Amino acid sequence: MNEKAEELNRVEKKDLFASGHRACGGCGQALAARLVHDAAGENTIACVATGCLEVFSSPYPDPSWRIPFLHSLFENPAAVASGVEVAYKALKKGPVNIIAQAGDGSTADIGFQCISGMFERGHNVLYVCYDNEAYMNTGVQRSSFTPYGAWTSTTPMGNKTRKKNLPLIAADHGIPYVATATVDDFKDLQRKVKTALSIEGPKYIHILVPCPLGWGHPGDLTVKICRLAKDTGLFPIFEIIDGKVTNVQKIPVKVPVEEYLKPQGRFRFLFKKGVPTEEVAEIQKIANQNIERFNL
Amino acid sequence: MEKLPLGLALDLRKVVPYKTGSWRTLMPVNIMQTPPCTNSCPAGNDIRGFLRVLAEKQDYEEAWHVLTRTNPLPATCGRVCPHPCEAGCNRRDFDTPLAINSAERAVGDYGLEYNLKHKKLISKRKEKVAVVGSGPAGLSCAFHLAKRGFQVKIYEANSEPGGWMRYGIPSYRLPNYILKQEIDKILELGIELECNVKIGVNIPMDHLTQHYNAVFLGLGAQMGTSIKIPGEDAQNVFTGVEFLKLINSGQIVEVGRDFIVVGGGNTAMDCARVAKRLGANVSVFYRRTRVEMPAITAEIDEAMEERIMFRYHTNPLKIITDEDRVVGLLCEQMELKEPDASGRVRPVPIEGSGSVYPADTVIMATGQAVDYDGIEIQKQNDQWISTNENLMTSIDGVFAGGDAVLGLETVAVAIGQGLRAASAIEDYIEGDVESQLAPPPVIYSKDLNTYYYTHEKRFSKKAVSIHTRLKNFREIYPSIDHQDIIKEAERCFSCGLCFYCSNCYMYCPDNAVKISPSTGRYEFDLDFCKGCGLCAKECPCHYIQMTLEK
Ligand SMILES: Cc1cc2nc3c(=O)[nH]c(=O)nc-3n(C[C@H](O)[C@H](O)[C@H](O)COP(=O)(O)OP(=O)(O)OC[C@H]3O[C@@H](n4cnc5c(N)ncnc54)[C@H](O)[C@@H]3O)c2cc1C
Ligand SMILES: Cc1ncc(C[n+]2csc(CCOP(=O)(O)OP(=O)(O)O)c2C)c(N)n1
Ligand code: SF4
Ligand code: SF4
Ligand code: SF4
Ligand SMILES: [Mg+2]
Repeated sequence: MNEKAEELNRVEKKDLFASGHRACGGCGQALAARLVHDAAGENTIACVATGCLEVFSSPYPDPSWRIPFLHSLFENPAAVASGVEVAYKALKKGPVNIIAQAGDGSTADIGFQCISGMFERGHNVLYVCYDNEAYMNTGVQRSSFTPYGAWTSTTPMGNKTRKKNLPLIAADHGIPYVATATVDDFKDLQRKVKTALSIEGPKYIHILVPCPLGWGHPGDLTVKICRLAKDTGLFPIFEIIDGKVTNVQKIPVKVPVEEYLKPQGRFRFLFKKGVPTEEVAEIQKIANQNIERFNL
Repeated sequence: MEKLPLGLALDLRKVVPYKTGSWRTLMPVNIMQTPPCTNSCPAGNDIRGFLRVLAEKQDYEEAWHVLTRTNPLPATCGRVCPHPCEAGCNRRDFDTPLAINSAERAVGDYGLEYNLKHKKLISKRKEKVAVVGSGPAGLSCAFHLAKRGFQVKIYEANSEPGGWMRYGIPSYRLPNYILKQEIDKILELGIELECNVKIGVNIPMDHLTQHYNAVFLGLGAQMGTSIKIPGEDAQNVFTGVEFLKLINSGQIVEVGRDFIVVGGGNTAMDCARVAKRLGANVSVFYRRTRVEMPAITAEIDEAMEERIMFRYHTNPLKIITDEDRVVGLLCEQMELKEPDASGRVRPVPIEGSGSVYPADTVIMATGQAVDYDGIEIQKQNDQWISTNENLMTSIDGVFAGGDAVLGLETVAVAIGQGLRAASAIEDYIEGDVESQLAPPPVIYSKDLNTYYYTHEKRFSKKAVSIHTRLKNFREIYPSIDHQDIIKEAERCFSCGLCFYCSNCYMYCPDNAVKISPSTGRYEFDLDFCKGCGLCAKECPCHYIQMTLEK
């Protein structure tokens, strides 16, 4: 690499999660996975649950992983990662970064008890949740992270429940580090991964990852949508260190939720001939509550 | 098959990735576009280019070479150009345009301070070109021809080169030593200069057409014209350019106490401000109002700061004389009626409004014309030289540009014309048809993703206090700090050209943006790019665009 290239290569990019994966164009989850593992570095073991990430990145014989990769079941990446950690300890090997990771369906619903156990037992594992707000891999079914009002194949009239707040639930396990992030601010995301990995014990990072297919937006809007999610107050960005909420990202200019909802097909039916329905007001209320609660 | 350790199904080092590029329907391409600053710079300066060099490398020397690729007079333009580039700058829609003019001056001054030299592009060739006039048009044409290896000789009627830059623009705006150094650098390319020779009078045009492969006429508009009122022949009545030429030739003009300038253009402002420095009590008389004045706004502002009186709606009728010397000016008041053909409101006299204003000197800064003495050439409207689109006149092999062709314009316009003429002359001599390529399309604000830019304060130059500046003819804007300009250059959006922000590189979910090992630039790995368009959306400067797959 010549001088210019070296000077340019100032940003983290190690290609540990390499080209050739089968994610949709503009997939937020693929981008997040790349950013997370580039920040973690070579000395990392990925324990990945069933879901889009696993399916699009691991087909034989050309997976995208250039680090050790374990595919667990849909429900148990946290348990598998716990086992890996204990095995390393027993073999007196390491230190090594162990990252358990899964989609929102796995994290919030079927895999939750394994995560809770892993937190409670105090394993030195980072758990990353790629939140695309539905079961995408099997055809966009609702999860308990699906936001209020969103269309999914199992909520054709719009989801009637609110998103579960897992970052706070995780923190209430008394774990030392919790953070939220999005893919638009890659510096922030990568810093959080590095911070988490430098802390002993269980850690949880929750990343909002737009899904062009399930959310119904063009792939080129992935970054913009993340920004809107933050600027409306619908996805607060913060860290919880030793139980205290800190480093809350202030919203520079608050944006009405309509701007976030309109470009996404899953919310389109919330506007009748362009006029917002009651649901939109309800979503705005959720955003306002977040703004107040986290002082955004 | 190779035997793998127990438990391993695949040697990851031997994976041949699946080529997802085959999914693509749209393809990202890098397209360098013309920034609006360059598009609105009459000299065609690569503004983005020199600002990026300053911002990225803090390299004033390279910036000077970038700038002088088009403009051999950056220190001069950095002082006198009305900078239409800034009006074009895309940053105006975000906060404030770049202070391009000040940056140009800083770079131009650096070139003089460190005595940087122009480089020839091609070594000497045998063809000779004569350039008539050493104003900015002639100098620019000579410069660009000399860089391309031609043997160039400039003929100049005045005793020193520079045209109106030398004899018109006063030294508090453009010090003579700055201009002289810049001209010397141009001449150092091996250009011959002969002063005190008026073509058409001392040497006939035929001589040039016979002895040179081509001729360039940069005659400018040397003659002041007046509005023809009685009493104009009186002592101490001058045309604007006549007065300035006397002053700039070092002659002493007894202006007296009351000094009236008639006109609203730049020449009028210069005459007024010069007279103020000579201690006179100065007023500018103009038929319409401030809004209609053709002078550069900054010039009017500065004149007002210097406490020059402006009398609007005032039209001179007659110069009152006493023993052949001006003593007053009879004027009538005008009122404005519906616009004329030029789009400016039409002044109409108010009956019985005549009055006499005392005057020791009257300046008629009301126009200029080309001096065609001994030069037979086809004209447009009996006024300016007519040329074809390649700037060739009615005489084969004789080209023309600058004020003599376009009417009263600016230094930068003349420089741009000189460059265009040099290319046309090269084509003419080589028997080529138009070798110029059309520039890429212009990029406007709406194409930028300004999320990634932050609001920054614009650099502003500081003037010497009014009190001190009126005491002498010294420059009113002192030299500019190099660091300040580097900071200013960092504000440039780099519209239409990559500035290595690394967004495309970082945002591609498919790792399909790579750093080229040979050039260090970002490039697309089309084996894997799925064509999602995220890079194009998040490229701040629109250097990436999605096009249909070929
Ligand atoms: C008072 C004044 C102030 C100005 N202020 C500004 C300003 O602030 N900013 C700006 O951008 N522009 C300004 N201008 C305009 C600018 O100076 C002109 O547009 C520019 O100089 C035109 O360049 P040119 O090369 O076409 O002609 P000129 O500068 O007029 O040069 C023509 C040269 O050709 C010579 N010449 C003419 N005929 C012959 C001949 N037959 N033989 C030999 N030599 C000949 C003349 O002696 C002269 O040196 C100003 C003009 C004036 C008069
Ligand atoms: C026990 C079990 N139930 C159901 C499935 C089918 N399944 C595979 S992936 C998936 C959804 C994954 O959703 P999520 O975890 O949100 O990840 P995403 O695909 O959205 O990234 C389901 C239901 C399974 N593999 N195992
Ligand atoms: S369905 Fe959604 S999450 Fe899955 S690969 Fe496509 S964009 Fe990514
Ligand atoms: S921001 Fe820079 S490149 Fe863009 S128009 Fe202004 S000076 Fe030119
Ligand atoms: S996104 Fe940044 S690095 Fe990529 S082409 Fe545009 S300016 Fe260059
Ligand atoms: Mg999901």
